[in-house]
Amino acid sequence: MTQEELMQLEITKTVDARGTSCPGPLLAAKKAMGEINSGNILEVLSADEGTKKDIPKWATKKKHEYLGTVEESGFFKIYVKKA
Amino acid sequence: METNKKMCIGLFSGSIDKLTAAGIVMGGAVADDMDIDVYVLLQAARAFRKDIADDYSKLELAENPTYKDQFVKSMEGLNIKTWLQVFRELKAAGNIKFHICGTAGKVWDAYKMEDFVDIADEICGIGGYITDSQNADVHLFI
Repeated sequence: MTQEELMQLEITKTVDARGTSCPGPLLAAKKAMGEINSGNILEVLSADEGTKKDIPKWATKKKHEYLGTVEESGFFKIYVKKA
Repeated sequence: METNKKMCIGLFSGSIDKLTAAGIVMGGAVADDMDIDVYVLLQAARAFRKDIADDYSKLELAENPTYKDQFVKSMEGLNIKTWLQVFRELKAAGNIKFHICGTAGKVWDAYKMEDFVDIADEICGIGGYITDSQNADVHLFI
């Protein structure tokens, strides 16, 4: 998806994991996934550089759909659609 | 039905840095829905004593010990929790069992479950570790 498309997604749930280091954002994503339904979209906010690769890899392994990442100043937003 | 993958950890170290590393690895495994069995061996059994676990003045670093203060301060600055807080949160979030080696406990004058932190599940012999490590998909010795 393009950055513009990502910015226009209808987000079901946002988890702000900017205050945590690896594996905090990953665990926050896992917990949040358990609280939304199939087809819903999760937005994870993280300032942890490693998470940028970690969550897409985890999402794919868990059969969710990684939609993309938007870079902000000092943090990024990762979008995952629940399987 | 698909069963969860298994991780077995022989946790020998009772040092802050290695316990922290173990917590990070376990965090990844919990996120991956792995079942984890941790066998708390010699030095780690001391760290699991309830009068020691949370007291960083009684624990050291395994490597670069002269940088302990810097390490602890940096961890606090990064909002990284203590190893015990991490272990406790992961146990609540996933399927982790902490088995304490009875012999290791005795070495450190800890004989009963109440001598150890609340996350300990049992005091055991070495047979369980050998069996679980053979059956694990991932086996680590830290």
